[in-house]
Amino acid sequence: MRCTPTQHLSRRTLMKGAIATAAGGVVMNWGGLTTQSAIAEEARRQKKHCILLWMNGGASQFETFDMKPGRPTGGPFRPIDTNVNGIKICELMPKMAKQMDKVAVIRSMKTSEVDHPGGIYLMHTGYRPAANVRFPEMGAVVAKYQGTVGGDLPDFVKVSSNGDAGAGFLGPKYQPFGIGSEGTLPTFSVSNMDPAKEAKRHDLRSFVEDKYAADSKSELAKMHREAYEAARRLQKGREAFKIEAEWAKHKELYGDSEFGKRCLLARKLVESGVAFVEVGQSSYDSHADNFQWHRGLVPPMEHAWAGLLEDLKQRGMLDKTLVVWTGEIGRTPSINNRAGRDHYVRCWSTALAGCGIKGGQVYGASDENGVEVKDNPVTEGDFFATIYQALGIDPKIENYAGLRPVPLAPFGSDVVKELLS
Amino acid sequence: MFARLTTALCVLLLGSVALAQDALHTVIDREVKAAWPTAKVSPAKPSPDSEFLRRISLDLIGTVPTVEETVAFLDSKEADKRAKLIDKLLADPRFARHQADVWDMVLFGRNPPGYETQRRDGFISWMRGNFEKNTPYDVWAKELLTADGTSDTTGAMYLAQWRSAPEDAIEAVTQTFLGVQLQCARCHDHPYESWKQLDFYGMAAFLARLEVVTVAQKNNQPVFAIGEKNLGEVRFTGSVKDAKPGDKGVPVKPKFLLGKDLDEPTLPKDFKEDKFAEKKAPPKPKFSRKDALAEWVTKSDNPFFTRAIANRVWAQFMGRGVIHPVDNMSETNKPTHPKLLDALAKELVAHKFDLKWYIREVVSSEAYQLSGRGNGEPMPEWFQHARSRPLSAEELVESWQVATGFLANETNKKDESRFRPLGRDYLIQFFGNPTTGTGDFQGGLKEHLYLNNGPLGTMIGVKGGLAEFVGDAKKPVADRVERLFLATLHRRPDDAETKKFTEYLSGGGTSADAVWVLLTCSEFRFNH
Repeated sequence: MRCTPTQHLSRRTLMKGAIATAAGGVVMNWGGLTTQSAIAEEARRQKKHCILLWMNGGASQFETFDMKPGRPTGGPFRPIDTNVNGIKICELMPKMAKQMDKVAVIRSMKTSEVDHPGGIYLMHTGYRPAANVRFPEMGAVVAKYQGTVGGDLPDFVKVSSNGDAGAGFLGPKYQPFGIGSEGTLPTFSVSNMDPAKEAKRHDLRSFVEDKYAADSKSELAKMHREAYEAARRLQKGREAFKIEAEWAKHKELYGDSEFGKRCLLARKLVESGVAFVEVGQSSYDSHADNFQWHRGLVPPMEHAWAGLLEDLKQRGMLDKTLVVWTGEIGRTPSINNRAGRDHYVRCWSTALAGCGIKGGQVYGASDENGVEVKDNPVTEGDFFATIYQALGIDPKIENYAGLRPVPLAPFGSDVVKELLS
Repeated sequence: MFARLTTALCVLLLGSVALAQDALHTVIDREVKAAWPTAKVSPAKPSPDSEFLRRISLDLIGTVPTVEETVAFLDSKEADKRAKLIDKLLADPRFARHQADVWDMVLFGRNPPGYETQRRDGFISWMRGNFEKNTPYDVWAKELLTADGTSDTTGAMYLAQWRSAPEDAIEAVTQTFLGVQLQCARCHDHPYESWKQLDFYGMAAFLARLEVVTVAQKNNQPVFAIGEKNLGEVRFTGSVKDAKPGDKGVPVKPKFLLGKDLDEPTLPKDFKEDKFAEKKAPPKPKFSRKDALAEWVTKSDNPFFTRAIANRVWAQFMGRGVIHPVDNMSETNKPTHPKLLDALAKELVAHKFDLKWYIREVVSSEAYQLSGRGNGEPMPEWFQHARSRPLSAEELVESWQVATGFLANETNKKDESRFRPLGRDYLIQFFGNPTTGTGDFQGGLKEHLYLNNGPLGTMIGVKGGLAEFVGDAKKPVADRVERLFLATLHRRPDDAETKKFTEYLSGGGTSADAVWVLLTCSEFRFNH
């Protein structure tokens, strides 16, 4: 486990953050109660959104954004020109080739967890898994600082995606709301109760909760009640999860695929005010037949992604919506004897677009075989710091994990200024 | 001069004798109260009987009392009724079951590592047995770490969590049983603590030779035994930052934390080791490092061990440790009440790690019995009011079963699942965390979607249950409302509550919904 100096600070200065214990004295870090609401308020005012396109299993950089034609590591696909002079990407991505002016590609990711569970945790939180701190996912952070107070919809929605770090120490208010692969709402989302009867029941419950709140001033009760109110409001917001009516019109733009539908849903949710939507595609874990896998997975994904960027642009939402493309790991330069590529994190690629990202550029570079980073390495911490900065959230803000102040992006990470306009 | 010294010594000795004669709960109250003026906090009032009844029931037996038990306790005029209740609950079979649940979460959590560790019936019944027999803590802790025997009847599942991962195992063992966190030292010398990386690997070396052996199949589940080899070392490669690819590092010998190297016999040069056979109990090694560790960890003169357990059990009932968090005792994380922690640990050793005695002392203190009505802080640092905590999934469902009358009235007694009639999966998913793990935890949106739209009604609707009573228009409405409150919140309603619920029930509101409101409200959801 890697620790930063801030994780070792004396407890006396840090007393504020600790708040609750679960059965059996096991520490439960419902932290963040005491943190800076003013900062959250200011960020929220700017109303920015984020859509994370999660390439589960780890897409290959060689079959997407970092082509090595003619090299032993290159593989069978050819690079194609894009709408930006000098930038070439994989022939599997013709639609994205026309959107490259909006996209900043990072070809120099250098991260620190090479397996799926650790990598999924790392690339969702910016931190490696630790025994004593439960780090929040990017989605929970954005929900906290860009969420809508009292909205009908949850601030952090995951559509068929991965990762279980959730809200971590930020607390239950920022837990992700998970949607199934077909866009179905989770079990128990729908109330079959007669609305008048429900209103009556709600009134009685409010009476009981008001009384307990006044008597106990309990912080836990307050959180419990907020979550109840949000669950209840969801009944009103449910329409935002239905895309059937819009799908026919958008099928061509997003491509007729499940991932396309999920991307349309993400756009619709963002338009309805949701701060963070994560959309997953599985699985790129191509230890065998890497090229066949990518031939199957990349085209529908890139079609949907290109459609999403175009749609956001046309609706004037791209300026305020950051689209992040990443998975948990990259893939090895060497091609194994099953025509597969294994896990690799010494040098791989991710991409960002929208929300003040300076598009039409490639940042960082790999060496000629894609083995090591040649220029401008970007760590997971730098990646997260840049994302938060683009979203108008200071990556240095600290929240309390129990007794420890933890910055949003790991201590020592830098915002990659070149990526921001 | 000599005489004066002797007198002074006598006074000192007398003083400590007098101290020793005080019951531990008296010492607790003295130390807790002494800190209030300096911390500038004022204590809450003593808890009313209703608050105490609910709190102690949940804390000791993991569920709430019935209406009859509630009325009997509230209306009793006996001066020592609280002490009697504590004794009764400590003798209840549910005490052992609940404490086994608590320790299951400490030692495993909901998502333990390892293979086939999800079902732990053998472990849980072993742990329950420890609390039924009131086995001293040092005895069962040593048994757990020695892990002789098989996972179907002993605590062997604990070490079976970590296969070929001595580093992970020692992290957990030291954190849980010694209350210290070594994990930072896994990758680098600790910047602020005295641990060095070699301390970490020296401790990990004790568990380097373990192997999980499947000795049988039982109830569609493998039965494990923990084997130990004669050979095998952990390797240390230096700081992770400077690690070079391919560097396998140097072997590290076992060394006790802040202590000496382990003295172990050397093996003959030509020693050859046999593989463990499947389906056969693994033979003991010629010398067991694991047993040496278990012996050292659980010795009553190991200050880490005694303070860690005194502090952990304290926190279980008081919300936070005297050192908090309980598994991070270190030079930079000092106790809030140093003399208190010394007394707790010393007395626990003097009472031979009798946890039942210790728990009785803690819950008999005035500090534990303060009201939870304070400034709203769930874990008050100075113990100036009672803590609040969410009920665990098991506590919640069993409290619902008691409150709704489901337990008393269910017709299908064949279903012995603890989560009947609701099913385990959803309850663990929505209410099972936090424990120690990651993942979804309680309190979120989904918990309420389950409460609002889920199957709770099947329990509320049990024949002859609370909702039936409350909905019986032939009975006086005041009686019905009173029973509703006694069953769910273990207190009588006040005038405003009686009025509101009377209006609701006579104005077309259903009794099932009234019960639902009280089963899902915050006053029910938390132990406070």
